Amino acid sequence: MKQMLALLIAGTLAAPIPVLAHHSFAAEFDAAKPVTVQGAVEKVEWTNPHIWVYVDAKDAAGKVERWQCEGGSPNTLARQGWSRDTLKPGDQVVIEGFRAKNGSNTCNSRTVKTANGKTLFAGSSLGQENP
Amino acid sequence: MKMRSVPSNRPSNVPSLIVMVVAIAGLALTAAPAAGQAAAAKIPRLADGKPDFNGVWDRPRVNDITRDTDGCGSGASTVGCKQKGAGDLPYTAWGREQASGPRFDYAARCLPWGYTRAMGTAYPIEIIQTPKRLAYLFESNNVFHVIPTDGRKLPEGADPLWLGRSAGRYEGDTLVIETTGFNGQTWLDTAEHPSSDQLRVTERLRHIDVDHLEYEVTFEDPKTYSKPFKNTRIWSRMKPGEELMEWWCMENNKDLLEGLISPTHVNQP
Repeated sequence: MKQMLALLIAGTLAAPIPVLAHHSFAAEFDAAKPVTVQGAVEKVEWTNPHIWVYVDAKDAAGKVERWQCEGGSPNTLARQGWSRDTLKPGDQVVIEGFRAKNGSNTCNSRTVKTANGKTLFAGSSLGQENP
Repeated sequence: MKMRSVPSNRPSNVPSLIVMVVAIAGLALTAAPAAGQAAAAKIPRLADGKPDFNGVWDRPRVNDITRDTDGCGSGASTVGCKQKGAGDLPYTAWGREQASGPRFDYAARCLPWGYTRAMGTAYPIEIIQTPKRLAYLFESNNVFHVIPTDGRKLPEGADPLWLGRSAGRYEGDTLVIETTGFNGQTWLDTAEHPSSDQLRVTERLRHIDVDHLEYEVTFEDPKTYSKPFKNTRIWSRMKPGEELMEWWCMENNKDLLEGLISPTHVNQP
């Protein structure tokens, strides 16, 4: 895989793995592939069963790659203090998560760090660490 | 009376403490029924005296019934939810085969969770209770399950269902709900522990206090597991004004519609 500044494969498995609500984690994502996606928000789909955040991340050559990262449900996130306007197009974000097994630019979000330094839990549940 | 009658190398207050502890324990045992009655009197009750479980309840997210977990799943500020898991499960040969083979998560297609998996979601549950019926309203998938508590028995030979059929009865202040008639198409949890059409679920629900319920669930499935096992959970009442929300699985099910989910994958039990 080519080197990317925007995409850093982290070397740790210690991070909590988010719990998905509507399908098993292992059916889609790889707990052995933690990923960091950094770039500008293109759009947010504030929808059930999961929100999706689309991010344009630049590689070392400046080429933009579109990523799509799944989060928790609007219900859970709203109860945690998110709203549909928490992330807006153009916002710079750093998403920590796990990459899809199929190798596409798809990830499951664990946290989203915003430009003002706030880190938001983005998963479906605060309660359990379990793939 | 002189209290000091112990060897000099022992702190003088030890026997007194022992006497006190024994005395207090004796008092506690004597006082237990009265204390129990006092606690029972404080729980909310229906007009007929039955414990009143009406409310919106936050629950521990139980992704995996074998494990313990703390914390409430809804994302709100509710505290106090807990889950005591079952530990390693006693598979039969058939059960282990089910737990080991390739499979597709039916819930990714937005089919029903099944009863016990629905009970483990992160989302709150509302209980609507009358003297002769109780309904679980699940935020997840916005589905419901009605439990008659009017003395009827579980039906024999009825068509199998995703959520089964239930009958409830009160044993003192505990509501005991037995559910059978499952279709065998569901997992016990999102960690993919299998079940069969022989599954029998027994739930015991009681008040710990006004705002906390103990939820004990026993799983019996002789085709899949060689003996019963259970989980014990604590549910916490959500704060006033916090209500169930809409939740639709197919609204934006990209995981399925864009082929992101593996059609089959293998987990080890």
